[in-house]
Amino acid sequence: MSTLIVIDQPPYGSWAGREALDMAFSLAAFDQSVSLLFTGAGVNWLRTYQDTQEIQQKSVERNLAAASVFGVEAIYADEAASRLYRLMPDNTMAGVTVIKDRAALLRQHSHVAFAG
Amino acid sequence: MTRPVMPARNNEGFLENANDWSPDIAMVIAADENIQLDENHWEIIEFLRNFYKQHDMSPPSNRLFVKAVKEALGEERGNSIYLMQLFTGTPAKTACRIAGLPRPTNCL
Amino acid sequence: MSDIKTLHILNKPPEHPRTQQCLEALNPGDALLLIENAVLAITMSVEAEVAVPVFALAPDVVARGLGQSPRGASASLVDFPVMVNLTASAQNVISW
Repeated sequence: MSTLIVIDQPPYGSWAGREALDMAFSLAAFDQSVSLLFTGAGVNWLRTYQDTQEIQQKSVERNLAAASVFGVEAIYADEAASRLYRLMPDNTMAGVTVIKDRAALLRQHSHVAFAG
Repeated sequence: MTRPVMPARNNEGFLENANDWSPDIAMVIAADENIQLDENHWEIIEFLRNFYKQHDMSPPSNRLFVKAVKEALGEERGNSIYLMQLFTGTPAKTACRIAGLPRPTNCL
Repeated sequence: MSDIKTLHILNKPPEHPRTQQCLEALNPGDALLLIENAVLAITMSVEAEVAVPVFALAPDVVARGLGQSPRGASASLVDFPVMVNLTASAQNVISW
């Protein structure tokens, strides 16, 4: 069984994305196969140089960088959304796989859950 | 050695202000739990503090704490028996408390 | 800073339906202030598409890693005191 957690909401606006990330980490903690897909405005999670000191929130960029340490298998980004939000290889965090065929990715997982 | 003044801590013994932490404070917090810090403890404390700096969070649960230690320092240290011997109780909680970091969010 | 007729304060991300409504409501003499997730609109150069001055709240811009991205027609980054001044100098304020 494999789980894909989809985050389609931008960072910092609501708690939904963080809760979804927490769920991904918890599944990984129990050695369940889990991956993350960022799509829509959710791709903005993946941008580098997020400096959250002034808004007094934890950086999702830094939180997300722990995903591979905890055993999250893959981080995917939707290509069309990345293009829309001008995320290029030089301003996207390391370890992200850009995918063209979102529908195919959803079919590859036995369980898909959207954030929020 | 004079005992340093203990800064404010919450009801679970975690520092209210992360900037209050120092190695001396760590020794006092550890002593409260009957732990005498040696180099094995310090290795984990240093790892945790770096982890926090890098990821803006403590490992959220004990399992993820063990995983993160294993990833960074290898199987010999990244296993729950080793970490439980060093940090009694719930290792992630005890270690974060001594390291001056916030409480792991998913530890009961 | 000259007087603003209506200051439109937008905090919704670009794909939110209210964003389009807000952009359609802009009139000459107005200004648009992007805060929270609305600052993501500067990645799409929204400021090049509207005919009024566009401001973006700096703490929200840098939090999202947009502090150093090249901005085409460039929204002006403002801090909290300037945001307060903008609000005070506007005849009307609409918070979308």
